Amino acid sequence: MARFILRSIISTIVTMLLVSIALFVLIEVGSGDITVKILGVFATPEQRASYRAQLGLDAPVWQRYIDWLIGNDWRAKRKVGYPLVTATNPQTGEKDWYADVDGQLTRWKMEEGRLITLKRQEDGSVTSHLSSGAWKINEEGNEYFWGVDTKNNTVMWMRGEGAEVWALTKAGLRKEGDGPQKYIPLRKGLLRGDPGISLQYGRPVAVTLIPRIRNTLVLAGVAFAVIMPLALFLGILAGINEGKPLDRFISITSLGATATPEFVTGIFLILIFGIWLKWLPAVALFTSADAIFENPKLLALPVLTLTAVELGYIARMTRASMVEVMESDYIRTAIIKGMPKTRIILKHAIRNALMAPITIIMLHVNWLVGGLVVVEVIFGYPGLGYYIYKSAIFGDFNAIEAAAMVTVAIAIITRLLGDLAYTLLNPRIRYS
Amino acid sequence: MEIIKKKDRDVAHPYIPELQNLFQKGKITRREFLRNATLLGMSAAAATTFLAGCKTEEPVEEAPAEEEVVEEAPAEEEEVVEEEAAPCVKRGGTWTASMQLQLLDHPARLSWVEGANIVRQTNEYLTLTGSDNITHPYLLEKWEASEDVKTWDLYLRKGVLFNNGDELTADDVMFTIGEWLNPDVGSSMLGLMSYLSGMQDVEKVDDYHIKLHLQFGDIAVPEHLFHYPAVILHRDFDGDIIKQPIGTGAFTLEEYAEGERAVFQRREDYWQMGCDGEPLPYLDKLVYVSTDKDAGLAALQSGQVDALYDPRPTDFQALQGVDGLTIRPASTAQCLLGRMRVDLEPWDDVRVRNALKKCQDRAKILQLAYFGEGDLSLDAHVAPVHPAYCEKDIPEYDPEGAKALLEEYAAEKGLELPLKVSLATKNDQAEPAIAQTLKELAEPAGFEIELDITEPSGYWDRWTEVDLGITSWTHRPLATMVLPLAYTEESIGAWNETRWFDEEFEGILREAQGTLDVEARRSLMCKIEDIMQERGPVFNSFWKSVWNVTASKFQNVEAHPTAYDLLYEVWIDE
Repeated sequence: MARFILRSIISTIVTMLLVSIALFVLIEVGSGDITVKILGVFATPEQRASYRAQLGLDAPVWQRYIDWLIGNDWRAKRKVGYPLVTATNPQTGEKDWYADVDGQLTRWKMEEGRLITLKRQEDGSVTSHLSSGAWKINEEGNEYFWGVDTKNNTVMWMRGEGAEVWALTKAGLRKEGDGPQKYIPLRKGLLRGDPGISLQYGRPVAVTLIPRIRNTLVLAGVAFAVIMPLALFLGILAGINEGKPLDRFISITSLGATATPEFVTGIFLILIFGIWLKWLPAVALFTSADAIFENPKLLALPVLTLTAVELGYIARMTRASMVEVMESDYIRTAIIKGMPKTRIILKHAIRNALMAPITIIMLHVNWLVGGLVVVEVIFGYPGLGYYIYKSAIFGDFNAIEAAAMVTVAIAIITRLLGDLAYTLLNPRIRYS
Repeated sequence: MEIIKKKDRDVAHPYIPELQNLFQKGKITRREFLRNATLLGMSAAAATTFLAGCKTEEPVEEAPAEEEVVEEAPAEEEEVVEEEAAPCVKRGGTWTASMQLQLLDHPARLSWVEGANIVRQTNEYLTLTGSDNITHPYLLEKWEASEDVKTWDLYLRKGVLFNNGDELTADDVMFTIGEWLNPDVGSSMLGLMSYLSGMQDVEKVDDYHIKLHLQFGDIAVPEHLFHYPAVILHRDFDGDIIKQPIGTGAFTLEEYAEGERAVFQRREDYWQMGCDGEPLPYLDKLVYVSTDKDAGLAALQSGQVDALYDPRPTDFQALQGVDGLTIRPASTAQCLLGRMRVDLEPWDDVRVRNALKKCQDRAKILQLAYFGEGDLSLDAHVAPVHPAYCEKDIPEYDPEGAKALLEEYAAEKGLELPLKVSLATKNDQAEPAIAQTLKELAEPAGFEIELDITEPSGYWDRWTEVDLGITSWTHRPLATMVLPLAYTEESIGAWNETRWFDEEFEGILREAQGTLDVEARRSLMCKIEDIMQERGPVFNSFWKSVWNVTASKFQNVEAHPTAYDLLYEVWIDE
């Protein structure tokens, strides 16, 4: 068993790597020019090219993948010649990059062709000095300098050849002289706990993603807790009453509910319970970060919608499985043997009938976590699915990758749980 | 021009006694008096008092005027002086709205109105362009302009406190203007205030008096001071309003999470008093929740939120007749402007341009494209909400007249009618409906219009290049703010999408830009509108209305043409 789990973990890691590579390639091929989204359609090709360089998008895709995975400070360090470290910016609470020049946190900037050293003092203030002797000479005899700029990039300046770069400000693009020739936007990489900056929000992905994961887990958890017992119960009830009115009723209702798309069910539920009767909140409005805990009624309609969609599917699967088991030889033997019916069902039939539904249920957990885009949009629920959707529309690759890693992890964990559940239900199944 | 004279600061503007005179003779209404007086830099409260004062002085002559007052009183807004001691409002309560929230840091860098609706709750502007499109002093007590409109004196209100206890002084204003003019900040104010070459043009006279020395005259300075990134910041502001929400506004920021929500609490020591003599605001709490428009619509219908930011025309349709909601329309200068490239055939010929203009059945286009929710327009880029708008008859639908013009043109050029043209626009809001309607309307006149409708970004890629197109233009409070952007020689290559310019037009426009007096400017606008109708490059059927949809229990809600949330004096009457 231990070996099975170990093997599962290894395969999980391999799967996640493969998925992340596949996603990287897909985004590369499919998302078009991200700078159009950020800079708007009025930006000129030069502006876009300059901004792409600042985002580090001019590097080859394998290079960017490695940067994303394990960071690039170790690579940039070799260029700069000093260790690169982060320090918390007291104003934003976020991390800023510095070069550690003999214990002194240092950054540089270029102004009117002159290189200026910015030294961060203990109290967070910055002193600036002119540093003319820092230039190095390359093979062509040009003077260059690799340093850390004030925007968390490792950059290369050429003396006397300030590139014209386009800096993005909220009011549009602004042309700056004295720009660097090359950019390496510094990051630690996902494996070291840094999923990067979200391009659409301008904040670290971790800050925006974690509340979404929590919201989604709450919704998925509640939905799961409501749907699964109910679906199994109804499925078993229908299965043991095969062909009777109760079975017909359960089968037809659940088929109808499942056949109705969730956006139809959702809108009808909103119209009936939210707008007409006003019994339940129409949309899941997060007026505070913990709104779902303060007012659990917010979850009612989303969960009801999910129930309508999922219930029938699992109930019908359970029913079919139950019918099959009830017709098997060993059940007939048990009945002939004169065992009480409840005992036959509970002890013998259910365990075997649950194998198929468990598979379906575990596959659906992943959908509940990452695939609820439609339900989240209808109910204004700030969850993971909608986050991924918006990130994908924007082409916010850091956010998509990080969120996708979460859903992949959940998919694999639920599969593992499903496998373990099989062994509990059927002791003949052993993984080794 | 004689009316704009520099005066001793204690005396009202020289034109104000004349206004008073006009008012007493019954030539202008009380409302018009207030509009004009506030335009001349008098605060609304002062103007009201002034009016009250002049009534008692000359009781004999004022009989007709008094009727006006009675008639106009209900239409008058909140700033009328308080009267009785009985509580005039109920205090307390929460206002919740649905509005998308994005990244927000430096207010001077704002490029979206949603963000401005956030910062305006904690920070304030020097002036206020109200829902009536008239600009009043706000954090300013008053302003004065020199005769050539090149020197502006801004007198700051005294006793205004920031929410950290500091008093607002000229230092804060100097700091804020410095941020606007600092290219490193990247504020759109920098381009707007191109008449200031730098902080050397901004002079601090004393703690409550700042002088602006403009490189060239511009009458729109007060409007620019209410441009949405222009909130006044504290002198120690570091660049992130969320980390440092210090302002003079009536609310304090409790929480801001982009993409999620913003929460504000009432401030206790705000400088403006409510009608009950206690400080504003009346509400205790504001909550903005970031949702999709559709979810926001459902939330509004179910009563979970009290307002929806900038409802779309379809939302407006859905919300009509919903119990407990009040819809307040506001006229704007937003339009979907038909524009013709005058450097390309056939639009280089004024007869063809005028023929297409005549093909507009404006009322029908408004009805079909925008549910009839707007004001009919002339073929000039000047809207009825612009203070200096010169009222003219709306041209009729005239396919015969258009046909005659086209036939004349075709005969001259040796062409066969129908004249084939391609109309480009974007698949957005009402543009496709306008294009389709125009196509049908122009057919009898001899136009064969082929529609070329792309996604918005596709149109924005070529909006200045297509020969015939429909472009959306946003609201600007003054006509003199929009006309120089698109109808001058120097704007070719920038926003002059039609390449049209006209010497006479430009001369009058320059004069209007330097004319502070509304009546004098109006007579210039009459000429400008005539020129644009006669030989201009644009046609326009209607000015869009916008709607403020708010739960009916909220009182004093204003529908602002640019969807600004002005909430300080809103209160709840259950």
